[in-house]
Amino acid sequence: MRSLFSIFVFVFAAVVSAISTSGNRLLAILDDVADKENYSKFLGDLESRGFQISFETPKSESLALFHLGERNYDHILLFPTRTKGLGPNLTPNILVDFMNANGNILVALSSEVAAPSSLVSLLSELDIQLPADRTGLVVDHFHYDASNAADKHDVLVLPPPKPVRPGIKDFFGTGAGKEEGDDVVLAIPRAVGAALGASELLTPIVRAPRTAYSYNPKEQTEVVDDLFAAGEQLALVSAFQARNSARLVLVGSAEMLQDKWFDAKVTKAADGNKAAKTFNREFAKRVSGWAFNEIGVLRVNWIEHHLDEAGAANESNPKIYRIKNNVKYTISLSEYAWTTWTPFFLPSEDALQLEFSMLSPFYRLPLTLDEAQSSDSASAYSTSFKLPDQHGIFNFKVNYKRPFLSNVEEKNTVSVRHMAHNEWPRSYVISGAWPWIAGVGVTVTGWLAFCALWMYSAPVNGNRETKKTQ
Amino acid sequence: MRFTQSIAPTLLLLATGVAQAASSWGFDDGSVQIAAKKGGDSIKEKFGRESPLTKPLSLGSTDTLKVLLTAKEDGKGKRPHQAFLVLQEQGSGLEAPFPFTVKETGKAVVQISQKDLPVQLRVATEPMKASVILASFGSAQGLNAPIFEIKIEHDAAAPPPTYEKPLRYGKKPEIHHIFRPDPKSPPKLVSLVFGLAVVATLPALLIGWVALGGNLNHLSKALGTAPLSHATFFGSILAMEFVFFLYYTSWNLFQVLPVMGAVAVVTVLSGTRALGEVQSRRLAGER
Repeated sequence: MRSLFSIFVFVFAAVVSAISTSGNRLLAILDDVADKENYSKFLGDLESRGFQISFETPKSESLALFHLGERNYDHILLFPTRTKGLGPNLTPNILVDFMNANGNILVALSSEVAAPSSLVSLLSELDIQLPADRTGLVVDHFHYDASNAADKHDVLVLPPPKPVRPGIKDFFGTGAGKEEGDDVVLAIPRAVGAALGASELLTPIVRAPRTAYSYNPKEQTEVVDDLFAAGEQLALVSAFQARNSARLVLVGSAEMLQDKWFDAKVTKAADGNKAAKTFNREFAKRVSGWAFNEIGVLRVNWIEHHLDEAGAANESNPKIYRIKNNVKYTISLSEYAWTTWTPFFLPSEDALQLEFSMLSPFYRLPLTLDEAQSSDSASAYSTSFKLPDQHGIFNFKVNYKRPFLSNVEEKNTVSVRHMAHNEWPRSYVISGAWPWIAGVGVTVTGWLAFCALWMYSAPVNGNRETKKTQ
Repeated sequence: MRFTQSIAPTLLLLATGVAQAASSWGFDDGSVQIAAKKGGDSIKEKFGRESPLTKPLSLGSTDTLKVLLTAKEDGKGKRPHQAFLVLQEQGSGLEAPFPFTVKETGKAVVQISQKDLPVQLRVATEPMKASVILASFGSAQGLNAPIFEIKIEHDAAAPPPTYEKPLRYGKKPEIHHIFRPDPKSPPKLVSLVFGLAVVATLPALLIGWVALGGNLNHLSKALGTAPLSHATFFGSILAMEFVFFLYYTSWNLFQVLPVMGAVAVVTVLSGTRALGEVQSRRLAGER
C-alpha cells in the first residue's frame, strides 16, 4: 500500500515538474491583489499549465525572493504597480541576484503607470532604455484600432511578429495566419516602447511599425520636441537571455494580457477598416511560456567522438588521437516544447557548428543531422574530419548560442599526439632515399669484402722484395 | 423595413467614404536647402507631395541640410502631432527620424548636418531615402511620402567614420584547416641514377683491389689451420650485419641489443683465434 502511494506521489511529482524545465513556483507582483481579476484568463492559462502562483504586493513585508540563499520562487511576474520603487524586497540588486540564480522574470509595463525606479534600473542594467520620466506612450497614426482608439490612436494593431533576421527560430508568430477569413492580429493597447542597446543578449520579439513613435502624454500633447525613439527602434515586447540562460521578457503593454483583449475583435485602420481578431491569448501563452522555460530550452543528451579509420579500434571518447587521424563527432540534442522533450531541429539558414580548437579554432564545421542515431525525443548531429597536422591539447567545442534558445556550450578536451617514429612511411618507399640505402648496402658489402681480403689475401710475388729494398 | 435594410449599407459605405475623403494630411511649399559652411554655394530645390526630387542630393561633411514645408490638413495650415523627416538607409532598412519644428500655422523646418546622423547612416555608400511623415490624432489620414534621396559625401582630408557591427549570435563562417604540404621527393629518375652511381662504386672498388693484386689464395690455408675459428669469426661478422638488417626492417632496440651482445662475444672469442692464425702467417713471412 505504502509503495503504491509512493509511486503515486512520484508520478504526480513527475507530472507537475514536467510543466516547466525549471520549476513551477511563480510569484506574481500586483499593486492590489484584486487587480488579478483583469488578468484572470492569462493567470488561469498559467495555472492550467501547472504553475503555482503566489500573489504578493510590493509592500508586503513577508515577501522574500531568497531563503537561506536558495530561491523561494522559480519565476517572477511583475504587473504594473503605482509605487515609485518596489520596496526593499525587490531592489534591482535582488532581482539581478535572482536572475544570476537562474530565475526568470516577466515584466509587464503600462503607459498609464510610471515604471517603478527599481525596474528602470534593472532594465538599464540589461541595456534596455525606457523613456525619460519613466512614462511614454507609443502611438501610430497609421496602424491603430479604429474601433477602440479612433481618436487617440494608442491601440496598435500589428501583424503576427516575425523573426528579426533569418536563422532565428520563430516561436511567437508561427501558425497565426488567417482564420475564417479574418486576419489574425496582435492588439497592443497603450504600450511603453523600449529602446534596446547593442547587446547580443537582447532580442526584440515585437517591434513597433515604421510610423510609430513614443511621446510623453503628460508633457508632449501638442508638440513632440524631444523624440525618445520612433519606428522599428521601439521594441514593444523584448526578450533578454543571460549567459546562464535566465530569461527576462519585457512586455510594453500589460493591458494586452488582460481578458478584454484576448480573442477580441478589432478594426484595422490601415487596410480600409478591415475587421480582425486578436491572437493576444496565444501570444501571451507563448511569451510567458518562453520566459518561464517551457519552450526554447535545449538539452545536450550525450556527446561521442571516436576514431573514424578503417580497421581501427572503435573506442568511444578516447583521451588521445594522432595528428591527421579521421575522427567522427556526434552530439545529441533535445528541445523542450511545453510538456515533453522533442528532437531539436535547426531553424532554416542556421547551422550547428563544431569547433576544433587550440587557442583558436583550426576547424569550424557544420554538424549534419544523423537520422540513424536520432530518436523521438532527441536528434543527433554529427560530422567527421581529419585532425590538423599540429599536436597539442585540443577542444571539441560546440558553442551554440542563439536568440530564444537556451545556451549550449560544450567543451571536450583531447590530446593530439605527433606521429610515432614507426608510423612514418618506410625509407625504401621514399624514392629520394634510394641513393642513401644503396650507400649503406655498398658500405656493408665493401666491409665484408675488405675483411675477407685482409684475412685471406696471399702476397703478390715481388711485393715483399720491393718493400724490403726500401 | 426592406428599404432601410438595403439602404443601410450604402449609407454606411458613403459615410466611410466621406470620412476618408473628409480629411487627410498634406503639405505645400516644400523645399530643401543644402548650405555649405564656408562659401555660399547653397543648393535650393523645390519638391511637392506628388513630385519628389529625382536627382539624389549630396551632403558634404560640413554642409547643413534644411527642409522646409507647410503642413496642411485639407488645405489649411495646421500643426500635426507627428511631423518627422525620416532618413532610411537602403541596404539595411535602418531609419533615423528627425522631428520638424512646427509652428501653429503648419510652417515646419528641420535642420540636419552629418554629425546629427547615427554612424550607421553616415557610413552608407548608397543614397539614402528621405521621406516625410505628417499625421496626428483624430480621423485625418496621415501622410508618408518620399521626397528626395540624399548621398553622404565624406571629406577627403578627414578620416572616414568607421562602424563596427555589434556582435550578434548566429552561425559563423566555416573554417577548414590548411595542412602543411607533404614532404616531396626529387624525380625518381634522378634518385635512380644517383642510386646506381653509388652501387657502381662497389665493382669499381673490387676491380681496383684485384688490379692491385688482391686475392683469396690463403683461404684454403687459413681454413686448413683453424677451420672452426675462421668460419665462426667471418660468420659472426655476417651475423652482425644481419642483425642490423633486422633492426632496420622489424626489430626494436631491445630485441637487437642482447643478440648483438651474443654475436659480439662470439666475434671476440673466435676473432682472437682467427686473427692469431693470421698473425702466425705474418710471422712466417707469408703476408
